[in-house]
Amino acid sequence: MASARAALLFALLAAWEFLPRSGLMNPELLPPLSEVLTTLWKLLQRSNVHAAIGVTMAEVAVAFLIAIPLGTLLGVLIAEKPYLADIFKPLLFYVFSIPKSVFLPMFILVFGINFAQKVAYAAFTTTFVVIMSAAACVESVKTEYIEVARSCGASRTQLILRVYVPSMLPMLLETIRISMIFNFTAVMIAEMYASRTGIGHLIANWGENFQMPQLFAGIVLLSVIAIFFNESVRWLEERCSNWRT
Amino acid sequence: MLVAALLGWELIPRTGWLPELFLPSLSNTLAVLVSDWRIYGSALLVTLGEVALSMLIACGGGIALGAIVGGFARMRNLLLPVFSSLYAVPIVILYPVFTAWFGVGSESKIAFAGLYAFFPVMLSTAAGIRTIDPQYLVAARSMGATLQQQLTRVIIPAALPTVFVGLRLGGALAIIGVVVAEMLTAAAGIGYLVTLNRTILDSPRVFAALILILMLSIVYDAMTRSLERRLLVWQPVKRSPAARPGSGLSASVSAA
Amino acid sequence: MQQLANLDGDSRVQAKAIEVSRLSHVYAGIHGEVLALEDISLQVESGKFTVIVGPSGCGKTSLLMMMAGLRSQSSGELLCHGAPMPQPDPNRVGVVFQEASLFPWLTAAQNVEFPLSLRADPKAARRQRALQMLSLVGLDGFADRYPHELSGGMKQRVSIARGLVQDPQVLLMDEPFAALDEQTRMTMGHELLRIWATTSKTVVFITHSLTEAVYLADEVLVMSARPGRIIDRIAIDLPRPRTYEMMASDKFGGLRERIWQQIRSQH
Repeated sequence: MASARAALLFALLAAWEFLPRSGLMNPELLPPLSEVLTTLWKLLQRSNVHAAIGVTMAEVAVAFLIAIPLGTLLGVLIAEKPYLADIFKPLLFYVFSIPKSVFLPMFILVFGINFAQKVAYAAFTTTFVVIMSAAACVESVKTEYIEVARSCGASRTQLILRVYVPSMLPMLLETIRISMIFNFTAVMIAEMYASRTGIGHLIANWGENFQMPQLFAGIVLLSVIAIFFNESVRWLEERCSNWRT
Repeated sequence: MLVAALLGWELIPRTGWLPELFLPSLSNTLAVLVSDWRIYGSALLVTLGEVALSMLIACGGGIALGAIVGGFARMRNLLLPVFSSLYAVPIVILYPVFTAWFGVGSESKIAFAGLYAFFPVMLSTAAGIRTIDPQYLVAARSMGATLQQQLTRVIIPAALPTVFVGLRLGGALAIIGVVVAEMLTAAAGIGYLVTLNRTILDSPRVFAALILILMLSIVYDAMTRSLERRLLVWQPVKRSPAARPGSGLSASVSAA
Repeated sequence: MQQLANLDGDSRVQAKAIEVSRLSHVYAGIHGEVLALEDISLQVESGKFTVIVGPSGCGKTSLLMMMAGLRSQSSGELLCHGAPMPQPDPNRVGVVFQEASLFPWLTAAQNVEFPLSLRADPKAARRQRALQMLSLVGLDGFADRYPHELSGGMKQRVSIARGLVQDPQVLLMDEPFAALDEQTRMTMGHELLRIWATTSKTVVFITHSLTEAVYLADEVLVMSARPGRIIDRIAIDLPRPRTYEMMASDKFGGLRERIWQQIRSQH
């Protein structure tokens, strides 16, 4: 299977190279893969690109570091207190299904166009995902395990550390992975919408100016970063889930 | 709770607790919506048109392909991990490609939103197809059903719930895709109005557009759910799944 | 271990292993208050194997949970070896649940050790004890397997080992073999009697299977449908050790029939 997938990937990459070169697709619109990669290489030498990457990564990191603790706290609260759950869960589901980019103009109105605005927006968006996931994590711990542990004489602290945490660990890692995807997307949207810095802004610019090789180079760069993070966490998840059926 | 929120919306800006720039009062927002209804109306039509067409791509293609991929284990094992990895990449970053290729008009929005909604619909359909119990077919065959009868009397009804989920998901994501695209680069549509008025700091108009977008998603969601309930009377009432992050949650929720 | 239990046992043998007086339990249901258990009084002698049977929903699991200290009753008294059970006390009472509920992230031995690890006993001693228990339940060599590698019957054995690890005086078992197939059930029942004979604990066992009840018990308590009351106590005076052949005897059949009649009279 892995070899079939590798073959598929190779075929797609080969298509990217040959379709524009052969003229089947307009090379102005779709530069061949080799051209994109060389452009990417050149871009990575430039300091303004470094700066943009730095800004984007900083926004992603800060938003993430705000959203995870905040969302986890609220999520755990909701899972633990049925009263709160009854009030907030339906509300959260509704907020979930509306396009959160709708709130972006509000953040711009409040913060202006700057680092804080993008971080606030991304943190806002991501927090909702974390809340839902964290609540689900806590709920996933089977009541049977709690009963067993209590019957063995476990104190509340011991319950949390010895039962909840190990039971939730794989799911928590998955939460981190999924929230990061949402977080990254939110930062990208914010940067592409209204920003003076960051990779998203660069990409939007390149698009407007029809600088296609640069545009695709930027897309490739971001994709690689995103996939790298995703797969790393996924690998960690696998390591911690060896006991899962 | 809703009432409290609405009241807050009206009163907070009026009392000056939050400046009108940040949160225009509800009455101002509604007033603008009413006075400019023609502008908003035509923008809404543009947006709806784009949504409809991108739904055609996303749901039509997504469901069909999802059924194929889901139905055949080899395809599933081959493709699903690939898509799962690709899911990590924000599709928004592809939007400038679409504007470069198709221009600033509706085509780029339709193409983008179509793509945006396509994959989740496909994945959801693939997953849903797998839930159809193959025993149904065995039972039907044992009762002497022909191939055609098996298709129409067993497979299609069994697949309907999955198809409906795909439609609901596709529509919701198409709306999001179109709105985001319109906000980013456009010349018409509700999203465009949001950006236009934001840059001139006309908050009531911005919020009026935002209300329309909200209404659109909520109405669409409610409509499809009630349609589902009506047509799929035989489905057991399912508790909204305590969303397990991962395949279920990520497929049914948009990152935008 | 055995002698230690007997030394202290003299003073404890005086008190009944379990003594329930006029216990009632009410809980808040969807449509108002529900009387789950009504005026239950029973006594379990030390070292005896008591089985509780009754229709579904009669409250037998709730009663067992109260004996375990996991739940408290609305009114009435419940004493275990002369003292109440406000909270779980694995030194006095070990519990085996219907679903083995082994923690999947721990090995069999680690699962058995779990109660000991909560008290921060020294590691070597814990492992030693866990291995001892696993040997007792017939699982030598499976100490470092994970639950997903074990069969249903094996998981329940580990569960029993865990219940016994702190050498409690009483072992409570809530339909422990319900999830197993018939043949495994019979083997496990036989195994359980062997373990019980070796350790002479008091056992309170819940089951739906009348055959199992007669096969295992010294005494069978029959509960009514909700609100649960004890409607009969049937002494099983079949000789020990019990054998499979006994199941074919008229006496066995007669006892079984008697229990069945009691339960049927409920409907």
